[in-house]
Amino acid sequence: MFDNLIARAIVPIAIAVTGFVVFGCILLYSLIQSDMTDEAVLHLDSFAETIVKSTRYAMMKDDRESLRNIVENVGTLTEIEQIRLFDQNGQVRFSGNPREVEAETDYQALEAWMRQGMTTGQEGRALTQHNIDKRAGVIAVSMPILNEPKCSTAACHFHGEEEQVLGFLNLGISRDPLEKTLALLRSRMIIFSIMVLFLTISGVAALLRLNLFLPILRLTFSAAQAVHGVAAKDLPKADNKLGTLEKDFRLLVEQRDQAWQDQKTASFLLKKAEHGSLRDTTDRENAEHRAAAPAGPGENPQT
Amino acid sequence: MPNIEPLRRQVQAKIRKLELRASSGLWILTLFTALSLAAYREFDFLPPLSDELRSALGAGPPVDYINWALVLYGFSAIIIVLTQMTGSKPPGTALSHFGYLSAFYAFYYFSNGLADNFWAIFTIGMTILSLQSYHIWNHYREQIRGEEEILAELDKLLED
Repeated sequence: MFDNLIARAIVPIAIAVTGFVVFGCILLYSLIQSDMTDEAVLHLDSFAETIVKSTRYAMMKDDRESLRNIVENVGTLTEIEQIRLFDQNGQVRFSGNPREVEAETDYQALEAWMRQGMTTGQEGRALTQHNIDKRAGVIAVSMPILNEPKCSTAACHFHGEEEQVLGFLNLGISRDPLEKTLALLRSRMIIFSIMVLFLTISGVAALLRLNLFLPILRLTFSAAQAVHGVAAKDLPKADNKLGTLEKDFRLLVEQRDQAWQDQKTASFLLKKAEHGSLRDTTDRENAEHRAAAPAGPGENPQT
Repeated sequence: MPNIEPLRRQVQAKIRKLELRASSGLWILTLFTALSLAAYREFDFLPPLSDELRSALGAGPPVDYINWALVLYGFSAIIIVLTQMTGSKPPGTALSHFGYLSAFYAFYYFSNGLADNFWAIFTIGMTILSLQSYHIWNHYREQIRGEEEILAELDKLLED
Protein backbone atom coordinates (compact mmCIF):
# COMPACT_ATOMS: atom_id res chain seq x y z
CA MET A 1 0.00 0.00 0.00
CA PHE A 2 2.78 2.44 0.97
CA ASP A 3 5.09 1.08 -1.70
CA ASN A 4 4.03 3.06 -4.74
CA LEU A 5 5.37 6.42 -5.82
CA ILE A 6 2.23 8.40 -4.96
CA ALA A 7 2.05 7.02 -1.41
CA ARG A 8 5.76 7.67 -0.91
CA ALA A 9 5.36 11.28 -1.91
CA ILE A 10 2.16 11.99 0.00
CA VAL A 11 2.71 10.08 3.30
CA PRO A 12 5.74 12.05 4.62
CA ILE A 13 4.13 15.38 3.71
CA ALA A 14 0.85 14.33 5.32
CA ILE A 15 2.60 13.18 8.53
CA ALA A 16 4.80 16.28 8.76
CA VAL A 17 2.07 18.83 8.05
CA THR A 18 -0.59 17.10 10.19
CA GLY A 19 1.79 16.61 13.11
CA PHE A 20 3.16 20.14 13.08
CA VAL A 21 -0.24 21.83 12.67
CA VAL A 22 -1.75 19.77 15.52
CA PHE A 23 1.34 20.41 17.68
CA GLY A 24 1.19 24.14 16.94
CA CYS A 25 -2.50 24.30 17.78
CA ILE A 26 -2.02 22.41 21.06
CA LEU A 27 0.88 24.63 22.09
CA LEU A 28 -0.99 27.77 21.07
CA TYR A 29 -4.06 26.61 23.01
CA SER A 30 -1.89 25.87 26.05
CA LEU A 31 -0.28 29.35 25.86
CA ILE A 32 -3.65 31.07 25.43
CA GLN A 33 -5.06 29.07 28.34
CA SER A 34 -2.14 30.10 30.52
CA ASP A 35 -2.46 33.77 29.48
CA MET A 36 -6.20 33.79 30.11
CA THR A 37 -5.76 32.15 33.52
CA ASP A 38 -3.10 34.75 34.42
CA GLU A 39 -5.50 37.47 33.33
CA ALA A 40 -8.28 35.96 35.46
CA VAL A 41 -5.91 35.78 38.46
CA LEU A 42 -4.95 39.45 37.98
CA HIS A 43 -8.63 40.38 37.78
CA LEU A 44 -9.31 38.35 40.93
CA ASP A 45 -6.42 39.99 42.81
CA SER A 46 -7.68 43.41 41.85
CA PHE A 47 -11.18 42.42 42.95
CA ALA A 48 -9.88 41.09 46.29
CA GLU A 49 -7.86 44.24 46.87
CA THR A 50 -10.95 46.35 46.22
CA ILE A 51 -12.87 44.32 48.81
CA VAL A 52 -10.03 44.60 51.37
CA LYS A 53 -9.89 48.37 50.84
CA SER A 54 -13.66 48.73 51.05
CA THR A 55 -13.76 46.82 54.34
CA ARG A 56 -10.87 48.78 55.87
CA TYR A 57 -13.01 51.54 57.36
CA ALA A 58 -15.47 49.07 58.85
CA MET A 59 -12.56 47.10 60.33
CA MET A 60 -10.99 50.21 61.84
CA LYS A 61 -14.30 51.03 63.41
CA ASP A 62 -14.84 47.40 64.34
CA ASP A 63 -18.20 47.65 62.59
CA ARG A 64 -19.07 43.99 62.25
CA GLU A 65 -22.52 44.61 60.87
CA SER A 66 -21.11 46.58 57.94
CA LEU A 67 -18.44 43.92 57.36
CA ARG A 68 -21.10 41.18 57.30
CA ASN A 69 -23.17 43.21 54.86
CA ILE A 70 -20.24 43.88 52.55
CA VAL A 71 -19.23 40.20 52.50
CA GLU A 72 -22.79 38.95 52.04
CA ASN A 73 -23.53 41.46 49.27
CA VAL A 74 -20.35 40.65 47.37
CA GLY A 75 -21.17 36.96 47.83
CA THR A 76 -24.45 37.43 45.96
CA LEU A 77 -22.61 38.37 42.73
CA THR A 78 -23.05 35.63 40.14
CA GLU A 79 -19.35 35.25 39.34
CA ILE A 80 -18.38 34.87 43.01
CA GLU A 81 -18.22 31.26 44.17
CA GLN A 82 -16.84 31.86 47.65
CA ILE A 83 -15.96 34.78 49.88
CA ARG A 84 -14.69 34.43 53.42
CA LEU A 85 -12.96 36.66 55.92
CA PHE A 86 -10.72 34.81 58.35
CA ASP A 87 -9.20 36.21 61.50
CA GLN A 88 -5.46 35.89 62.09
CA ASN A 89 -5.98 32.42 63.62
CA GLY A 90 -7.73 31.12 60.54
CA GLN A 91 -11.27 31.14 61.94
CA VAL A 92 -14.02 32.11 59.49
CA ARG A 93 -15.55 35.34 60.77
CA PHE A 94 -17.60 36.43 57.80
CA SER A 95 -18.64 34.41 54.81
CA GLY A 96 -20.90 34.55 51.78
CA ASN A 97 -22.21 31.26 53.13
CA PRO A 98 -23.42 32.13 56.68
CA ARG A 99 -23.46 28.44 57.66
CA GLU A 100 -19.66 28.45 57.68
CA VAL A 101 -19.71 31.18 60.34
CA GLU A 102 -22.37 29.41 62.35
CA ALA A 103 -20.43 26.15 62.22
CA GLU A 104 -17.27 28.04 63.32
CA THR A 105 -15.35 26.60 60.40
CA ASP A 106 -11.61 27.18 60.45
CA TYR A 107 -8.97 26.98 57.75
CA GLN A 108 -8.07 23.41 58.80
CA ALA A 109 -11.41 22.25 57.39
CA LEU A 110 -10.72 23.98 54.06
CA GLU A 111 -8.44 23.28 51.13
CA ALA A 112 -4.79 22.39 51.59
CA TRP A 113 -3.46 25.39 49.62
CA MET A 114 -5.13 27.75 52.13
CA ARG A 115 -3.96 25.78 55.16
CA GLN A 116 -0.40 26.08 53.95
CA GLY A 117 -0.53 29.87 53.72
CA MET A 118 -2.49 30.52 56.90
CA THR A 119 -0.65 28.35 59.39
CA THR A 120 0.83 30.43 62.18
CA GLY A 121 4.58 30.79 61.92
CA GLN A 122 4.57 29.62 58.32
CA GLU A 123 7.01 31.42 56.07
CA GLY A 124 5.19 33.41 53.43
CA ARG A 125 2.09 33.90 55.59
CA ALA A 126 2.01 37.53 54.53
CA LEU A 127 2.00 36.56 50.86
CA THR A 128 -1.00 36.22 48.58
CA GLN A 129 -1.77 32.59 47.68
CA HIS A 130 -3.60 31.43 44.57
CA ASN A 131 -5.36 28.27 43.60
CA ILE A 132 -5.88 27.78 39.88
CA ASP A 133 -6.37 24.03 40.00
CA LYS A 134 -8.88 22.96 37.34
CA ARG A 135 -10.27 20.19 39.55
CA ALA A 136 -11.41 22.73 42.16
CA GLY A 137 -13.65 24.42 39.58
CA VAL A 138 -12.74 27.87 40.91
CA ILE A 139 -9.91 30.34 40.68
CA ALA A 140 -9.31 31.43 44.25
CA VAL A 141 -7.09 33.85 46.09
CA SER A 142 -6.18 34.05 49.75
CA MET A 143 -5.04 37.60 50.42
CA PRO A 144 -3.57 38.49 53.81
CA ILE A 145 -4.92 41.61 55.51
CA LEU A 146 -1.73 43.19 56.73
CA ASN A 147 -1.23 45.28 59.82
CA GLU A 148 -0.63 48.98 59.24
CA PRO A 149 0.27 51.83 61.60
CA LYS A 150 -3.31 53.02 61.36
CA CYS A 151 -4.54 49.66 62.60
CA SER A 152 -2.24 49.30 65.60
CA THR A 153 -2.94 52.86 66.70
CA ALA A 154 -6.70 52.67 66.07
CA ALA A 155 -9.12 53.38 68.91
CA CYS A 156 -10.21 49.76 69.17
CA HIS A 157 -6.63 48.66 70.01
CA PHE A 158 -7.68 45.24 68.84
CA HIS A 159 -4.32 44.35 67.27
CA GLY A 160 -0.86 44.80 68.60
CA GLU A 161 1.96 46.39 66.59
CA GLU A 162 3.86 43.10 66.39
CA GLU A 163 1.07 41.25 64.58
CA GLN A 164 2.01 41.19 60.93
CA VAL A 165 -1.17 39.60 59.58
CA LEU A 166 -4.59 40.57 60.91
CA GLY A 167 -6.65 38.22 58.84
CA PHE A 168 -7.23 36.77 55.40
CA LEU A 169 -9.67 37.36 52.62
CA ASN A 170 -10.51 34.25 50.65
CA LEU A 171 -12.21 34.98 47.35
CA GLY A 172 -13.05 32.50 44.60
CA ILE A 173 -14.59 32.99 41.17
CA SER A 174 -16.00 30.25 39.01
CA ARG A 175 -13.87 28.81 36.21
CA ASP A 176 -16.97 28.22 34.08
CA PRO A 177 -16.78 31.43 31.98
CA LEU A 178 -13.08 30.80 31.36
CA GLU A 179 -13.68 27.16 30.47
CA LYS A 180 -16.54 28.15 28.14
CA THR A 181 -14.31 30.64 26.32
CA LEU A 182 -11.54 28.03 26.07
CA ALA A 183 -13.98 25.40 24.79
CA LEU A 184 -15.13 27.83 22.09
CA LEU A 185 -11.52 28.59 21.19
CA ARG A 186 -10.73 24.86 21.12
CA SER A 187 -13.58 24.04 18.76
CA ARG A 188 -12.64 26.94 16.45
CA MET A 189 -9.02 25.81 16.46
CA ILE A 190 -10.02 22.23 15.61
CA ILE A 191 -12.14 23.44 12.67
CA PHE A 192 -9.36 25.75 11.50
CA SER A 193 -6.73 22.97 11.81
CA ILE A 194 -8.88 20.54 9.83
CA MET A 195 -9.35 23.16 7.11
CA VAL A 196 -5.61 23.95 6.99
CA LEU A 197 -4.75 20.24 6.86
CA PHE A 198 -7.30 19.53 4.19
CA LEU A 199 -6.15 22.46 2.05
CA THR A 200 -2.44 21.69 2.50
CA ILE A 201 -2.67 17.99 1.80
CA SER A 202 -5.14 18.31 -1.05
CA GLY A 203 -3.14 21.23 -2.50
CA VAL A 204 0.13 19.30 -2.38
CA ALA A 205 -1.56 16.17 -3.72
CA ALA A 206 -3.18 18.14 -6.57
CA LEU A 207 0.09 19.84 -7.52
CA LEU A 208 2.01 16.56 -7.40
CA ARG A 209 -0.67 14.83 -9.44
CA LEU A 210 -0.84 17.58 -12.03
CA ASN A 211 2.86 18.18 -12.46
CA LEU A 212 4.37 14.79 -11.73
CA PHE A 213 2.07 11.79 -11.46
CA LEU A 214 -0.13 12.48 -14.50
CA PRO A 215 2.86 13.08 -16.84
CA ILE A 216 4.48 9.89 -15.47
CA LEU A 217 1.24 7.92 -15.93
CA ARG A 218 0.90 9.35 -19.45
CA LEU A 219 4.47 8.35 -20.26
CA THR A 220 3.88 4.88 -18.79
CA PHE A 221 0.78 4.52 -20.98
CA SER A 222 2.74 5.73 -24.03
CA ALA A 223 5.51 3.24 -23.26
CA ALA A 224 2.96 0.42 -23.02
CA GLN A 225 1.42 1.52 -26.33
CA ALA A 226 4.85 1.72 -27.96
CA VAL A 227 5.68 -1.79 -26.75
CA HIS A 228 2.52 -3.01 -28.49
CA GLY A 229 3.71 -1.52 -31.76
CA VAL A 230 1.92 1.86 -31.88
CA ALA A 231 3.87 4.35 -34.00
CA ALA A 232 5.28 7.57 -32.52
CA LYS A 233 2.78 9.75 -34.39
CA ASP A 234 -0.14 7.76 -32.93
CA LEU A 235 1.03 8.02 -29.32
CA PRO A 236 -0.87 10.38 -26.92
CA LYS A 237 0.23 14.00 -27.21
CA ALA A 238 3.16 15.05 -24.95
CA ASP A 239 2.83 18.00 -22.53
CA ASN A 240 6.60 18.46 -21.98
CA LYS A 241 6.23 18.44 -18.17
CA LEU A 242 8.88 15.77 -17.81
CA GLY A 243 11.37 17.72 -19.94
CA THR A 244 13.88 15.75 -22.03
CA LEU A 245 12.67 12.38 -20.71
CA GLU A 246 9.51 12.58 -22.80
CA LYS A 247 11.33 13.97 -25.86
CA ASP A 248 14.01 11.27 -25.68
CA PHE A 249 11.37 8.58 -25.32
CA ARG A 250 9.56 9.83 -28.43
CA LEU A 251 12.85 10.05 -30.31
CA LEU A 252 13.56 6.41 -29.41
CA VAL A 253 10.12 5.33 -30.65
CA GLU A 254 10.61 7.36 -33.86
CA GLN A 255 14.00 5.76 -34.40
CA ARG A 256 12.43 2.37 -33.89
CA ASP A 257 9.64 3.23 -36.36
CA GLN A 258 12.25 4.43 -38.85
CA ALA A 259 14.26 1.23 -38.34
CA TRP A 260 11.12 -0.81 -38.95
CA GLN A 261 10.33 1.21 -42.03
CA ASP A 262 13.86 0.76 -43.38
CA GLN A 263 13.68 -2.93 -42.60
CA LYS A 264 10.35 -3.20 -44.40
CA THR A 265 11.65 -1.32 -47.44
CA ALA A 266 14.80 -3.43 -47.53
CA SER A 267 12.88 -6.65 -47.28
CA PHE A 268 10.43 -5.44 -49.94
CA LEU A 269 13.29 -4.54 -52.28
CA LEU A 270 14.94 -7.82 -51.54
CA LYS A 271 11.74 -9.70 -52.23
CA LYS A 272 11.22 -7.65 -55.36
CA ALA A 273 14.73 -8.31 -56.49
CA GLU A 274 14.36 -12.01 -55.75
CA HIS A 275 11.04 -12.04 -57.54
CA GLY A 276 12.53 -10.19 -60.55
CA SER A 277 15.47 -12.52 -60.88
CA LEU A 278 13.17 -15.51 -60.54
CA ARG A 279 10.97 -14.19 -63.34
CA ASP A 280 13.97 -13.58 -65.56
CA THR A 281 15.19 -17.10 -64.95
CA THR A 282 11.76 -18.57 -65.73
CA ASP A 283 11.45 -16.49 -68.91
CA ARG A 284 14.87 -17.57 -69.98
CA GLU A 285 14.07 -21.22 -69.28
CA ASN A 286 10.79 -20.94 -71.14
CA ALA A 287 12.54 -19.39 -74.12
CA GLU A 288 15.14 -22.12 -74.18
CA HIS A 289 12.44 -24.75 -73.86
CA ARG A 290 10.51 -23.27 -76.71
CA ALA A 291 13.63 -23.06 -78.87
CA ALA A 292 14.50 -26.68 -78.28
CA ALA A 293 10.96 -27.95 -79.18
CA PRO A 294 10.43 -29.21 -82.87
CA ALA A 295 8.60 -26.71 -84.99
CA GLY A 296 5.10 -27.72 -86.20
CA PRO A 297 3.83 -27.39 -89.63
CA GLY A 298 3.73 -23.77 -90.80
CA GLU A 299 5.45 -22.54 -87.54
CA ASN A 300 8.64 -20.64 -87.31
CA PRO A 301 10.71 -22.13 -84.43
CA GLN A 302 12.63 -18.84 -84.06
CA THR A 303 9.59 -16.88 -82.87
CA MET B 1 30.03 -25.36 -10.41
CA PRO B 2 31.15 -23.76 -7.11
CA ASN B 3 29.12 -24.35 -3.95
CA ILE B 4 26.79 -21.34 -3.59
CA GLU B 5 25.07 -22.51 -0.42
CA PRO B 6 27.31 -20.41 1.95
CA LEU B 7 26.62 -17.32 -0.18
CA ARG B 8 22.90 -18.05 -0.03
CA ARG B 9 23.02 -18.35 3.77
CA GLN B 10 24.99 -15.10 3.94
CA VAL B 11 22.33 -13.29 1.92
CA GLN B 12 19.58 -14.76 4.09
CA ALA B 13 21.38 -13.59 7.24
CA LYS B 14 21.74 -10.11 5.73
CA ILE B 15 18.01 -10.03 4.94
CA ARG B 16 17.20 -10.94 8.56
CA LYS B 17 19.54 -8.20 9.80
CA LEU B 18 17.95 -5.65 7.47
CA GLU B 19 14.46 -6.70 8.58
CA LEU B 20 15.47 -6.05 12.18
CA ARG B 21 16.81 -2.63 11.22
CA ALA B 22 13.66 -1.84 9.23
CA SER B 23 11.51 -2.38 12.32
CA SER B 24 13.84 -0.47 14.69
CA GLY B 25 11.87 2.76 14.17
CA LEU B 26 8.67 1.03 15.24
CA TRP B 27 10.36 -0.22 18.41
CA ILE B 28 11.43 3.31 19.30
CA LEU B 29 7.87 4.49 18.60
CA THR B 30 6.54 1.86 21.02
CA LEU B 31 9.10 2.89 23.62
CA PHE B 32 8.05 6.52 23.26
CA THR B 33 4.38 5.56 23.66
CA ALA B 34 5.25 3.73 26.90
CA LEU B 35 7.21 6.75 28.16
CA SER B 36 4.29 9.02 27.24
CA LEU B 37 1.89 6.84 29.25
CA ALA B 38 4.16 7.27 32.27
CA ALA B 39 4.40 11.03 31.62
CA TYR B 40 0.61 11.26 31.33
CA ARG B 41 0.42 9.93 34.87
CA GLU B 42 3.11 12.47 35.81
CA PHE B 43 5.47 9.60 36.72
CA ASP B 44 3.37 8.87 39.81
CA PHE B 45 4.79 5.34 40.08
CA LEU B 46 8.27 6.75 40.75
CA PRO B 47 9.25 7.65 44.32
CA PRO B 48 9.15 11.43 44.91
CA LEU B 49 12.45 13.26 44.71
CA SER B 50 14.01 14.14 48.03
CA ASP B 51 14.30 17.82 48.95
CA GLU B 52 18.10 17.55 48.94
CA LEU B 53 18.13 16.24 45.38
CA ARG B 54 15.63 18.87 44.28
CA SER B 55 17.70 21.66 45.77
CA ALA B 56 20.84 20.15 44.22
CA LEU B 57 19.15 20.13 40.82
CA GLY B 58 17.93 23.70 41.30
CA ALA B 59 14.79 25.30 39.93
CA GLY B 60 13.55 24.09 36.55
CA PRO B 61 13.70 26.46 33.57
CA PRO B 62 10.60 28.61 32.92
CA VAL B 63 7.90 26.74 31.00
CA ASP B 64 7.82 29.43 28.29
CA TYR B 65 11.49 28.81 27.49
CA ILE B 66 10.87 25.07 27.25
CA ASN B 67 7.91 25.75 24.93
CA TRP B 68 10.07 27.79 22.57
CA ALA B 69 12.82 25.17 22.69
CA LEU B 70 10.22 22.51 21.84
CA VAL B 71 8.92 24.51 18.87
CA LEU B 72 12.47 25.02 17.59
CA TYR B 73 13.37 21.36 18.11
CA GLY B 74 10.15 20.09 16.48
CA PHE B 75 10.55 22.30 13.43
CA SER B 76 14.25 21.45 12.95
CA ALA B 77 13.73 17.73 13.52
CA ILE B 78 10.96 17.53 10.90
CA ILE B 79 13.08 19.46 8.37
CA ILE B 80 16.11 17.22 9.09
CA VAL B 81 14.11 14.00 8.64
CA LEU B 82 12.53 15.29 5.41
CA THR B 83 15.98 16.31 4.14
CA GLN B 84 17.33 12.84 4.99
CA MET B 85 14.43 11.36 3.03
CA THR B 86 15.33 13.29 -0.11
CA GLY B 87 19.00 12.32 0.15
CA SER B 88 20.37 8.85 -0.45
CA LYS B 89 22.20 8.62 2.87
CA PRO B 90 21.19 5.82 5.25
CA PRO B 91 18.82 7.08 7.95
CA GLY B 92 20.13 7.73 11.43
CA THR B 93 18.68 5.92 14.39
CA ALA B 94 15.52 7.31 16.02
CA LEU B 95 17.09 6.80 19.43
CA SER B 96 18.52 10.35 19.52
CA HIS B 97 15.03 11.81 18.99
CA PHE B 98 13.73 9.56 21.74
CA GLY B 99 16.45 11.00 24.01
CA TYR B 100 15.55 14.61 23.19
CA LEU B 101 11.84 13.98 23.75
CA SER B 102 12.51 12.26 27.09
CA ALA B 103 14.56 15.31 28.11
CA PHE B 104 11.60 17.56 27.26
CA TYR B 105 9.31 15.40 29.42
CA ALA B 106 11.85 15.66 32.27
CA PHE B 107 12.20 19.45 31.94
CA TYR B 108 8.43 19.99 31.92
CA TYR B 109 8.09 17.64 34.89
CA PHE B 110 10.66 19.56 36.97
CA SER B 111 9.12 22.90 35.97
CA ASN B 112 5.60 21.74 36.88
CA GLY B 113 4.38 22.23 33.33
CA LEU B 114 3.94 18.63 32.26
CA ALA B 115 0.14 18.45 32.72
CA ASP B 116 -0.45 21.51 30.52
CA ASN B 117 2.05 20.61 27.81
CA PHE B 118 1.84 16.82 27.68
CA TRP B 119 -0.19 16.70 24.43
CA ALA B 120 2.19 19.12 22.71
CA ILE B 121 5.25 16.88 23.35
CA PHE B 122 3.27 13.74 22.56
CA THR B 123 2.08 15.10 19.20
CA ILE B 124 5.44 16.41 18.05
CA GLY B 125 7.16 13.24 19.30
CA MET B 126 4.77 10.99 17.41
CA THR B 127 5.20 13.11 14.27
CA ILE B 128 9.01 13.06 14.33
CA LEU B 129 9.29 9.39 15.25
CA SER B 130 6.62 8.35 12.70
CA LEU B 131 8.47 10.22 9.94
CA GLN B 132 11.80 8.72 11.00
CA SER B 133 10.29 5.22 11.27
CA TYR B 134 8.71 5.57 7.83
CA HIS B 135 12.07 6.66 6.39
CA ILE B 136 13.95 3.81 8.09
CA TRP B 137 11.33 1.28 6.99
CA ASN B 138 11.40 2.49 3.35
CA HIS B 139 15.19 2.60 3.20
CA TYR B 140 15.74 -0.91 4.54
CA ARG B 141 12.78 -2.36 2.58
CA GLU B 142 14.53 -1.27 -0.61
CA GLN B 143 17.75 -2.93 0.49
CA ILE B 144 15.82 -6.10 1.42
CA ARG B 145 14.23 -6.10 -2.04
CA GLY B 146 17.70 -5.98 -3.60
CA GLU B 147 18.92 -8.86 -1.43
CA GLU B 148 15.79 -10.87 -2.25
CA GLU B 149 16.52 -10.46 -5.95
CA ILE B 150 20.05 -11.78 -5.38
CA LEU B 151 18.58 -14.69 -3.40
CA ALA B 152 16.13 -15.47 -6.21
CA GLU B 153 19.03 -15.50 -8.71
CA LEU B 154 20.98 -17.85 -6.46
CA ASP B 155 17.93 -20.12 -6.09
CA LYS B 156 17.61 -20.19 -9.87
CA LEU B 157 21.27 -21.17 -10.15
CA LEU B 158 20.74 -23.95 -7.60
CA GLU B 159 17.74 -25.28 -9.52
CA ASP B 160 19.73 -25.31 -12.78
